[in-house]
Amino acid sequence: MSVTFSLNGKPVTFDGPDDVPLLWAVREHFSLTGSKFGCGIGMCGACTMHLDGAAVRTCVMAVGHVRGRAVTTIEGLPTDETNPVHQAWNELDVPQCGYCQSGMIMATTSLLARNPNPTDQDIDQTITNLCRCATYIRIRAAIHAAARRA
Amino acid sequence: MSHHASPVLLGRRRFLEVAAAFGAVLAVPLDAAIARRGEVADSELTDWVFIDQAGTVTLGLCQPEVGQGSYTVLPSILAEELDADWPAIAVRWVMGRDAYKIQFRNEKPSQKEGASTSTTKLYARLRTAGAAARIMLVSVAAARWGVAAGQCETRDGWVHNRATGEKLAYGTLAPDAAKLPVPSDPPLKERSAFRLIGKSLPRRDTAAKTNGSAIFGLDVTLPGMLNAAIRIAPAIGGWLVDVRNEAEVLKQPGVRHILKLDDAVIAVADRYWQAQRAVDLLDVVFSPGENGHLSTALIDNLAEAGLEAEIGVPALSQGDALRIIGQHPDRVIESRFSVPHLAHAAMEPMNATVHVQKDRVDVWGSIQSTDATVTAVAKICGLHEDQIHLHVGFLGGSFGGKIVPSFVAQAAKAAKALGRPVKLIRTREMDIQHDHFRPNNKGRLRAVLDADGYPLAIHARVCGQSLFATTRPYWLTRTPLGDYDESMVDGLYQQTYAIPNLHVDVIQTPLPIPVYFMRSVGSSAGVLFWESFITDLAHHAGIDQYAYRRHLLRDYPAGLRVLDAAARAAGWDRPAGPDIARGIAFNTYFGRGGSFVSECAEVVELKRVGDRWKVARVVCAMDAGLVVNHNTFNAQIQGGIGFALTSALKSEITFRDGAAEQSNFTDYPLLSIAEMPEIVPVIVESDRPPQGAGEIMVAPLAPALSQALLHATGRRPDRMPFRAEWFQAHA
Repeated sequence: MSVTFSLNGKPVTFDGPDDVPLLWAVREHFSLTGSKFGCGIGMCGACTMHLDGAAVRTCVMAVGHVRGRAVTTIEGLPTDETNPVHQAWNELDVPQCGYCQSGMIMATTSLLARNPNPTDQDIDQTITNLCRCATYIRIRAAIHAAARRA
Repeated sequence: MSHHASPVLLGRRRFLEVAAAFGAVLAVPLDAAIARRGEVADSELTDWVFIDQAGTVTLGLCQPEVGQGSYTVLPSILAEELDADWPAIAVRWVMGRDAYKIQFRNEKPSQKEGASTSTTKLYARLRTAGAAARIMLVSVAAARWGVAAGQCETRDGWVHNRATGEKLAYGTLAPDAAKLPVPSDPPLKERSAFRLIGKSLPRRDTAAKTNGSAIFGLDVTLPGMLNAAIRIAPAIGGWLVDVRNEAEVLKQPGVRHILKLDDAVIAVADRYWQAQRAVDLLDVVFSPGENGHLSTALIDNLAEAGLEAEIGVPALSQGDALRIIGQHPDRVIESRFSVPHLAHAAMEPMNATVHVQKDRVDVWGSIQSTDATVTAVAKICGLHEDQIHLHVGFLGGSFGGKIVPSFVAQAAKAAKALGRPVKLIRTREMDIQHDHFRPNNKGRLRAVLDADGYPLAIHARVCGQSLFATTRPYWLTRTPLGDYDESMVDGLYQQTYAIPNLHVDVIQTPLPIPVYFMRSVGSSAGVLFWESFITDLAHHAGIDQYAYRRHLLRDYPAGLRVLDAAARAAGWDRPAGPDIARGIAFNTYFGRGGSFVSECAEVVELKRVGDRWKVARVVCAMDAGLVVNHNTFNAQIQGGIGFALTSALKSEITFRDGAAEQSNFTDYPLLSIAEMPEIVPVIVESDRPPQGAGEIMVAPLAPALSQALLHATGRRPDRMPFRAEWFQAHA
């Protein structure tokens, strides 16, 4: 009934059932609310975090699955000039309502780690997060800008 | 200071500096906020301008930030006339005063956001308030220096003495300035003197929205707060019959309470995940109520029948259209169109946090309509409206969906029952299935052309569920033949095309479905009908679509200018090429109750990719008067077209057994980044003050797209959404 993992570089222990979604464990037990609840079925990506550096949708991931592993949330990313994704997102003023953007940034950061110079096609295939404000034009531009900065 | 707002909570400079976003201060625990009440030493210069002794200028914001940029644009209007130091200002949520209310048509003025009125209705009010405060500050400075006010000038939060070079900060002048009467008619700046308005200011909320610190309703956390999940009777008007395993579910860890409402069951637990699990475990019996027979087939049949009715309620009758069409049955061109009910589906599901105490109720959440929420909560809690305190942070989208406070009412009922703060979150399924939907509509348009191929007479008939009859019967227009809902014929009954004989009539089909406004609401149906029909007429006449519309706009230069700008930017005069197909559409958008007039023309370009036609580029020309902020305006164009494209390609709510059939992004999909076209915004400058800008790009998209499909494939879709088969390219 407890799960120990690394959350933004610090060891934490979740006291509860293994099958609680990681999203809610992080939001409610560790007070990190930057990751959002959007659909509950892993489809919209608002809940995206990194598991050992790779983007995962956490509204459908049991917390037990991350036992002993490293979870990073939007709060765990640097926001200074060392993070080209934040810089690009701010420079291009990407967010409108902003609700999906932490998930977008987590998905983008993960993409750029594996593919430092993604094509439009790579973006289309990888960034499947949803944005009802349709900020997609600025998201795409920001991904390219971040790739250039890195 | 507003008696509703939590001034201490929202005014503390440290929080605003640290967070750079009013949303973040919502995280301050409620108890602490109440304890600190009275600490504030702000000088209030007008209803909108608050200056503390440290010199921080705090500007009031009465319109929620739902993504449209109100948190940046509205304060910038105040700051312009105030000559405040823009990067250093703070923004505070304000409510509860007449100054913050907007009148919608014949309604009692109320504080809420909607109908593209935030900037249009507040522009002059905010400029006047900023200018008045500036004059008050100058008066105090001039008196201290013993000079005439005309010898002073203001810049970036300081009053300067032209003669001596001395300067005084607003913070040191504010306490005395606040004692002066507020000038009622202060002179305003010339446009040429603007330093903020008309520029492209960055949004003030971007940093908070990219580092995870922005606080949305979902993120509100209070000491002692419980969490609630809800299951609502699936059928519209259905009710709760029985909960069979309540005792068993109550034994689950963390579960505190099962609350039975007439039409829903709510589980309250320590954690949200426990509450949601409890709701999922509940063995609930719902009755479908009286609407169990309701289905999309029935809804469609009703609307089809209405289209055939002998007489409709006329919304416009100019010339002698019915007689001309009746006399030339062999020359009549007829088209029919259909649009479904739609859900708003904002990314942040509806949620609210409510704390009910003996003499006050505090409400946090994703709330678009301030006053309606206050009224609803006061009624549930049996308190006076003055005792309801709203704390509005960032909304994760709304598009009209979070105006109806039904989700707040559910949270209030739970909070009242528990006596502790309760946060209620709807799942995506509850958010979509129990939305207040954009109404359905069907259109039948008939025309007789003149010898040159232009419309001699048009009869437009619209039939569907009435938005006004359901939500605001006092907005129905009375005629000897009955009432009609003008929103059902938006884009039709107010014409800027020259049509000598035009008859527009309406048939309502009453339905029990909860409906509400949604970004561009009536126009998103009416303009599809109208502009698609114009497409058919031009096609029939063998006249270029752009030339045809130019001819119809010949008496309306304001519209012609925008149509021309779109065509020019799209290169309409050049051949499209074998793998490109284009469509053009135009709309003059009349704000509700004559609140504004905006012009919009769009050119949609399809590109052939393999055996599919793909929406590749959209040119959007707009005249929405003065553009206060080009950055947020362009964002509205980009996002509004994405929103319109989602409706055009994907969105449909259907009904079966009295219930909405769609419930998540699997069956109510949204546009993805891969489907987002390139967008070319064309701002047609105008001397007019700001006009509505957040909705007007939505309506022309679908008809421009359907026309492009006609050019590409020889077939034009007539029913929204345009399903994938319409985009099949022929070999």
